[in-house]
Amino acid sequence: MAVGVGDIHNNRLAYLYTLPALIVMGMVVIYPFFYNIVLSFSNMNLIHFKNWRITGISNYTGVFKESTFWYFLVKTVLWTAVNVVFHVTIGIFLALILNKDIKGKSFFRTLLILPWAVPQYITALTWRGMFDTEYGAVSLTLVKLFGIQIPWLTTEWGAFAACIITNVWLGFPFMMIVALGGLQSIPDELYEAADIDGASWWHKLKNITIPLIKPVMIPAITLGIIWTFNNFNIVWLVSNGGEPADKTHILVSWIYKSGFRYFRMAYAAAFSMIIFSILLIFSWNFIKRTKAVEAVY
Amino acid sequence: MRPLGTKILQHKIEQFSKKYPDWQFRQLFYEPETARTNYIISAMGGSGPALFWGASDNIGPFVELEVIKQLDTLIDKSVLEQFITEPFPANTWFQQHLYQIADRVGNHLCLVYNKKLVANPPQTLNELKEIGKQLTKDLDKDGKADRYALAWNYTEPFFAVPFINGYGGQILDDNNRPTLNTEATIKAAQLIYDLANKDRIIPIECNYETSNALFLDGYAAMIINGPWSWGTYIENGIDIGITRIPMIDETGRWSSPMVSPLGYSVNINLQGEKLKITLELLQFLTSKKVELEFTRAMGTIPSRKDAFQDSSVIQNEIIQSSIYQMEVGTLMPVVTELRWIWDAMRPSYQSIFTGQVTPIQAAKDMQHLAEKLIRENRE
Repeated sequence: MAVGVGDIHNNRLAYLYTLPALIVMGMVVIYPFFYNIVLSFSNMNLIHFKNWRITGISNYTGVFKESTFWYFLVKTVLWTAVNVVFHVTIGIFLALILNKDIKGKSFFRTLLILPWAVPQYITALTWRGMFDTEYGAVSLTLVKLFGIQIPWLTTEWGAFAACIITNVWLGFPFMMIVALGGLQSIPDELYEAADIDGASWWHKLKNITIPLIKPVMIPAITLGIIWTFNNFNIVWLVSNGGEPADKTHILVSWIYKSGFRYFRMAYAAAFSMIIFSILLIFSWNFIKRTKAVEAVY
Repeated sequence: MRPLGTKILQHKIEQFSKKYPDWQFRQLFYEPETARTNYIISAMGGSGPALFWGASDNIGPFVELEVIKQLDTLIDKSVLEQFITEPFPANTWFQQHLYQIADRVGNHLCLVYNKKLVANPPQTLNELKEIGKQLTKDLDKDGKADRYALAWNYTEPFFAVPFINGYGGQILDDNNRPTLNTEATIKAAQLIYDLANKDRIIPIECNYETSNALFLDGYAAMIINGPWSWGTYIENGIDIGITRIPMIDETGRWSSPMVSPLGYSVNINLQGEKLKITLELLQFLTSKKVELEFTRAMGTIPSRKDAFQDSSVIQNEIIQSSIYQMEVGTLMPVVTELRWIWDAMRPSYQSIFTGQVTPIQAAKDMQHLAEKLIRENRE
């Protein structure tokens, strides 16, 4: 429905209340967003930082022509998929356990939320230390137990795996909390009725639990995908800025490096617009296909 | 500046601020790379700190981005004459203008050794390898070395440059063109690779934090590090000695680390009274008294002639050893190209240690990337 002058007049107070938020959003989100679009068509870099000018779509074509983009896109998709699968699986699994009447439930709940409560910066750097080939706790344990020494941080896929392990550890508590909330809202009567019908554990999970936690899990998974896709901190800190040899990047960490280390602002702006488009199309389709915003009951 | 340095600086700023009770003075500390980025962004936006402290290689990018002031018109010539010009100039000029006043010189890598473990530090590479075999020890007899002869942040190109220069190379020529695909680069990279994988006298994986921790805990007998770290070693009770990074036997040249002054530049946006007070603060922070306080606490080499000649400097074994290394150093260029050269070196150079490329291929790749980055950014 279009907002008419009359509507604004009638709801003057409501619009007045939202005005401060609108102004702040305009300054910190809308203006930078449009400025970024303009920059993506310019030649802004270290040399043309002040005297930049519009140069057309060369940055966009440049991004698509570079093998770097496709390489980091594949890595980002892999990074997102592996992380989210582990986050959701571990999260739901733990939520199912915590939803039972087990002893020390609140203790375990607090313990399992801890990874989420510790600042990411500290977690990432601690894990980085633990992945040191010769002196890290992870490596020492592997050597002690299996006699294998993995050069985690000095090989392309070792460093990538180290980032994934760190992020899995950090990410499952969120999914666990969301799933637990969903589980607690399912009426017991449904399970009781299923028990009377002789339904197995698997059938109850498939036909009651999963459909009923879907409305909370789908938006959480969507958010999880977007957050993980854009999770700059972990990749940057664990791999120390993309080491080894600038191979351990996802798209956003590469944008950061291009923009704020190499000062290729226009190129980074075009790159970020492409990522924005990918995420917009994905989220739109995902929510539409899964009907996540539709009522269940 | 490391924790000890920031503590002294804070004390000095508080001391200066008493003269101007209506003004607020505070320091912001960031790691060099973050400090540079944050400063550029804030100064471009019309604000930012009044003074920026850092190494002289920031000057090229800062001048191109127009974020720092020319100081030659703001500071009296007689003041500038108080700073050393030998063995390296303290103050940084670029394109015929002065942009940085140093409070210390050097910032160069040296060979630091733990006197408890090393009686006579190696003078040449062959000596290093020989002594290295004796110093590298498997203390718990599990078949793996627990103590290494030497550790340093060798995967960072800056820390490999002394050897490139020692083999007769340089990373950029007088016309600011990258000169990375050379015999010197290949030999230096091969040398470092061999020290880890063939001679096994340095750890097979070593970043800055690991090497520092190993040296602090006595698990590395020697470390290649700069003046910013010595205060920490001394504070931790290590009896350190400092000397030159070994000579390359093959060339007869000393390994030659980059030497650069460290000092203050003034924010382009300053005007009026704030600029006046800032310049006064700058002169206070580069006064003899303040420089010597840093020198005594941290072993830094002062930038002023009177401080450089002070008895506390002349009689300080660590500082004199540092100057001894500095004498065979190579002045760090301040041109913007250097930044792209570091960025171009890092990926290929690090790939050598992961076994992905040979030093020969790495030298070719870094040259190619350096040329590409310079071309793209100069477009």
